[in-house]
Amino acid sequence: MTPNTATSGPSRRSFLANSAVAAAAVAGGMPLLAACGGSDSGSRDGTTSGKDAKKILPAYVASNVVTPDIPSKNGSSVGFTSKLDLAGLKTSVPKKLGKGSEVTIMSPFWGSPPKTDNAYYRAMNDLIGVDVAWQNQDGNTYEQKLGAVLASSDVPDVVVVPGWNMSGKIPSAIISKFADLGPYLSGDAVKDYPNLAAVPTDAWQRSIFGGKLRGLPMPASYVPNIVPLYRQDIFDKEGYEVPTSCAEFMALAKDITNAKAKRWACMDMKWVSFNAFGVLSGSEKPLGWNLVDGKLVNRIETEEFLEALEWARKLFAAGVVHPDAEMGKNAPDPGPKFAKGEFIIYAQDISQWWSRAAEQAVQNPEFKIWGMDLFGHDGGDPVLWATQPANIFAFVNKKASEAVIRDVLAVANVTAAPYGTKEYMMTNYGVEGTHYTVKDGLPTKTDQGNIDVMNAYVMVASPASTLAHPDFPDVTKGQVEWQQRMGAFTKKSPFYGMQIVEPSRYTNLSNDFEQLEDDITRGRKKISDMQQAVSDWKSKGGDKLRDWYQKILDENGSAAS
Amino acid sequence: MSNSTVPRSRAEAETTEKTPVASGGATGPRSKPSGKLSLKLRWRRDRVLLLMTLPAVALVLLFNYVPILGNVVAFQDYDPYISDNGVVSILNSPWVGVENFQRIFEDSAFWQAVQNTLVLFFLQLVLFFPVPILLALLINSVIRPRVRAIAQAVLYLPHFFSWVLVIAVFQQLLGGAGLLSQLLRDHGYDGLDVMTDPNTFKFLVTAQAVWKDAGWGIIVFLAALASVSPDLYEAAAMDGAGRWRRMWHVTLPALRPVIALLLVLRVGDALTVGFEQILLQREAVGPGASEVLDTFVWWNGVRNQDFGYAAAAGLIKGVISIGLVLAANKVAHLMGEQGVYKK
Repeated sequence: MTPNTATSGPSRRSFLANSAVAAAAVAGGMPLLAACGGSDSGSRDGTTSGKDAKKILPAYVASNVVTPDIPSKNGSSVGFTSKLDLAGLKTSVPKKLGKGSEVTIMSPFWGSPPKTDNAYYRAMNDLIGVDVAWQNQDGNTYEQKLGAVLASSDVPDVVVVPGWNMSGKIPSAIISKFADLGPYLSGDAVKDYPNLAAVPTDAWQRSIFGGKLRGLPMPASYVPNIVPLYRQDIFDKEGYEVPTSCAEFMALAKDITNAKAKRWACMDMKWVSFNAFGVLSGSEKPLGWNLVDGKLVNRIETEEFLEALEWARKLFAAGVVHPDAEMGKNAPDPGPKFAKGEFIIYAQDISQWWSRAAEQAVQNPEFKIWGMDLFGHDGGDPVLWATQPANIFAFVNKKASEAVIRDVLAVANVTAAPYGTKEYMMTNYGVEGTHYTVKDGLPTKTDQGNIDVMNAYVMVASPASTLAHPDFPDVTKGQVEWQQRMGAFTKKSPFYGMQIVEPSRYTNLSNDFEQLEDDITRGRKKISDMQQAVSDWKSKGGDKLRDWYQKILDENGSAAS
Repeated sequence: MSNSTVPRSRAEAETTEKTPVASGGATGPRSKPSGKLSLKLRWRRDRVLLLMTLPAVALVLLFNYVPILGNVVAFQDYDPYISDNGVVSILNSPWVGVENFQRIFEDSAFWQAVQNTLVLFFLQLVLFFPVPILLALLINSVIRPRVRAIAQAVLYLPHFFSWVLVIAVFQQLLGGAGLLSQLLRDHGYDGLDVMTDPNTFKFLVTAQAVWKDAGWGIIVFLAALASVSPDLYEAAAMDGAGRWRRMWHVTLPALRPVIALLLVLRVGDALTVGFEQILLQREAVGPGASEVLDTFVWWNGVRNQDFGYAAAAGLIKGVISIGLVLAANKVAHLMGEQGVYKK
């Protein structure tokens, strides 16, 4: 949702209003104490909506600093493409709110983390008035560290947890280890932090865990975030056409691949395949459910799911996938080999469309990265499923003093500054002269900027989903327009927008499926193994989980559109 | 006990004065064995030494034995997050009896992990264990000290590389986009991806272990070789024994006790076949081929936060390991060797 435009706002709000009608909230609002000591953790699971949520949610105060050039449509981010007046940047945080506390933040990091003491971190700390020490962890294997860190007695002051890492007992840990931010943010209290007040309400709604406002959200567009990125320069040179069906993609991939010349077509295309076959979103467990003929069906039970795996497998079997992809999550960062042209298509978060472009801009001027539209497997329109309007959250340690909590909110208030402010520029571009240089009024990231200014501070909190890259206005335009085109095909599943904590006995049920998917696409397991796993899943609790979700649905109503 | 005339401590002075029998105990070959002394006398004789071991015993208790108590979580649905204190969490976690063990016995992934672990163990026993012995013999036969020092340094070095580095090197050389594959493709063959082939994964793991640690393993054998008296070789040579005869009849018998000892220790570690190394490559071949008991425990405990389940798996592993050590020790005794301990 975008605060700057009225178009998409009301529709999300109306969802909240609808759920307010079905006011009966699940037990999520019960006090934590009730959960301690008992064998039944019933008071921790469920969701919070309606009246209960309303009491907790921060007030929304729109902030208009710069009018976006491309307003939000079909759930897209807002886009800014016109030249930014770097000299006339506005100040959204007139007074340093930080009181100089030391704050440790652990967060996932995609790419190579910078040194812990670098010019960007120092400049941000100066701007905010805190002393943040970052613990950047590899984002791809983050869930493997999270559980251990949270079980230790040494939990950092702030821990960033992406929604897709909330399996096992992590939700329970979030509820018991992290502070209730309600006293600082609920209702009008948020107005002390104007930039947080401008964070869309549906992102805050997603930040309620165990009946308390615990998270600082990173708002996101609900349009699927995985874009098939390709090397447009090589496509143009070789005369390749962007494929619009699975068959075309396969033919093109075979055409591109020439292993002898160290050129493969793509990396793992599993996510693209899921979208091509209309498989329900795998980005979060509640989103994997859909109401079909009055009965909840999970993505893994659908025919499309198996078909999608089969097609992704065929790509591997055809030898068009770069060998690095065989290594799954432990594969090296795709960036350098993509730049070398060892493969020319890969699917990743939409943010890489810009970050790869920025990385290569200086030393590789020929390099042109672009996103291809998702396609229906038969060449028709794709059926896409919405992801959540906020999926990455920062939590504050329960043991943190009020001074530290206030300072964390000071950090968040700066990182959530909207586009067109000094704070946004510092958060996303760093220090002028060090991390970017200004040429013809446009900021261009330096090499140091591409190392230091990556995805750290934006994790603490972000403004309403914004796409703005003054150095690459055409990329910005491409990204927003891609979201708008894809947004037109995007549907919402019944549990869209809710923050649902599954009962702990079910949270691990589907943990092994991702690995099994990867085993199948790489030819190590068969489709029949998946069918077996699904039937095991049902008997081990999948069917009970279905009933549990049905109850949530009965109580809160469906968000499907 | 020393037989020097000057007592080294007050305690010794006392014992020398008052219990002359004990003072001869350790030195005189026919003296009364100390086991027959009364407890009181032994205490008076040994108390300083006993006191000196106290800090070490305390550390062992604190870090090796106290944590064993934590294994009770194997009988719980342990949730470490319900309090900030591990003990409080244990007290408050629900008890589930032997449910975790029942689940394990029904879990095919667990048995797959057991199978992988055992296969890897035997593979490493056959392919890895003899390598350091051969290398030690080889190094031992080098006479020029300089060549020998360089060879040793080169052999030791990989031991100090981290597994991340070792696997990265293997990936660059043998991976699907690595040196070997590219060389093959340049000459018209298909690429060869050794790194992601589940069928040969166990050989790959063994090869990596050999490359990294075989050189380090020779240290103990070299020490044993150094203790062989040159007289024996000379005598054997005088009797007309050739190179191979000397190795067979002099060198190898000298190494036998060390080999037996290391073998027993290795068997005790049989179910520990490389955690970090395998974890790093787990995704590349899938858990079917790569999951071993340690990674299974880690995956279920740390990754899935199913701590009770993981603890149960760890307990089973411990029980099997103890059984293996006892068995191996017995075999060593039957072979006439000391083994790790003797009753």
